[in-house]
Amino acid sequence: MVRALGFTLLLCCGLGQGLAQVQAQADSTSAEGLALLRKIYQATEKLSYTGTFVYQQGERTETSRITRLAGPGGEIERVEVLDGMPREIIRTHDTVRCYLPESQTVKVERRTDSRAFPAMLPERVSDLARNYVITRGETVRIAGFDCEAVVLTPKDELRYGYKLWADVNTGMLLKARIFNAKGETIEQFSFVQLAMGSVPRERVKTRHAARNWRVEDAAVTPANLGRAGWSVGAELPGYRKIIEVTRKLGEARPAGQMVYSDGLSAVSVFIEPLAGRAEAVRPGPSSLGAFQIYTREVANHVVTVVGEAPPASVQRIAAGVEFRKPR
Amino acid sequence: MKARISELLDGELESREAAGPLDALRSEGEARDTWRSYHLIGDAMRDTRDARMLSPGFSARVAARLAQEPTVMAPVRRAATPQRQRWQFLSAAASVAAVALVGWVAFAPQQSGTEVAQGVPAQQIPAVAAQVAPPATADDYLYAHQGQSPRNSLQGVAPYVRTVSGKAVAPKR
Repeated sequence: MVRALGFTLLLCCGLGQGLAQVQAQADSTSAEGLALLRKIYQATEKLSYTGTFVYQQGERTETSRITRLAGPGGEIERVEVLDGMPREIIRTHDTVRCYLPESQTVKVERRTDSRAFPAMLPERVSDLARNYVITRGETVRIAGFDCEAVVLTPKDELRYGYKLWADVNTGMLLKARIFNAKGETIEQFSFVQLAMGSVPRERVKTRHAARNWRVEDAAVTPANLGRAGWSVGAELPGYRKIIEVTRKLGEARPAGQMVYSDGLSAVSVFIEPLAGRAEAVRPGPSSLGAFQIYTREVANHVVTVVGEAPPASVQRIAAGVEFRKPR
Repeated sequence: MKARISELLDGELESREAAGPLDALRSEGEARDTWRSYHLIGDAMRDTRDARMLSPGFSARVAARLAQEPTVMAPVRRAATPQRQRWQFLSAAASVAAVALVGWVAFAPQQSGTEVAQGVPAQQIPAVAAQVAPPATADDYLYAHQGQSPRNSLQGVAPYVRTVSGKAVAPKR
């Protein structure tokens, strides 16, 4: 009977749901959709530009200036948030620096291994079609550019959907909307002004001297947390572990970090020793902006799971975290 | 025995064959637990529209309890008798069944938001678990997560604006 029930469950929730969703989309992944998505990824890698975009999430609306310089010396990107607390983030191929002038702090994250930051290679874009139905959307005008849209509709409830609008000529991403299963917007990025083409080098330099500022170095180091006894028992369908490191959080809290991703949706698992912790642990789900968080205690450690994914995905990964004494 | 109980529940046993399982069910124990679990699963399967049997926080509470339970694979301090070991194995199986049930109960209503077949209005969906306040150091986690996020390949450095909120932190020196 149990087996029969299992099948029924699968049929009801898995197959039935999948079919219903695909049919609702009345479409399957199209070659045009994939081609446009590939073009967007390539443009993100290659273009130089400077512009202003608006980030919207719930009640929050924030304007930022962004500049990207691509060139033989490697690419440099700089974003400066213009509303609220001033902050500036500069990324080169192997380092991210976040300048916080109010607290006179600079956060530094360096890649210690030869790999650059995890990148979705344009040739791997078709892998996304395993978990999303990728289709072409309508053509609209955004910030003065004629844009074509691509929609990534998730095949299950374990990830959000994405709608991306890109410049017809260059593939430059002008607008990105992330939506949940009900079609409600989780967050949205949208350019209001953009100029592509050569950018003076001055534009990607920080405006902070940052002398005598406190430096928080994340000291990210590749690690094998599994050997230390940590694992995520039941992994989520479509997600695989892409990164496993030790690092510092905030001022200098040591932590382990594992990242699970389907190539677009991503969930981080942070593991920190409970000892010497100032703040009491509040176990359970929480959310901050577009991020979902789940906190629990495992074997005298605080496990904090953070994801740009639906609450259920974050909760399921959190529930799967386990510690077994290494032999 | 579990298979026999399952057959008994489905009315697939002749009266003679039913004697064994029925005997087992007379005393409190694993047979009776199995009987209860199967009924619960069956009820959940048949009675999806009417969630009377499950109080609002049911799945959350089970999930929380499961989360608190020690790993079944962990070494057991007391010398385990063979029967005890078998019980652990069965309870692991029961946990899996419970997780499947919880998972289904928790996710199915969300799915029904887009699917008419189940007909459960969205507002009746029980919360997966009670929300707590985010950790005081949440920004640190978001920022650390962003550094490894594949969204950076799609959008460059733009998604970083999400990870540092407007909370100003006084310099500590």
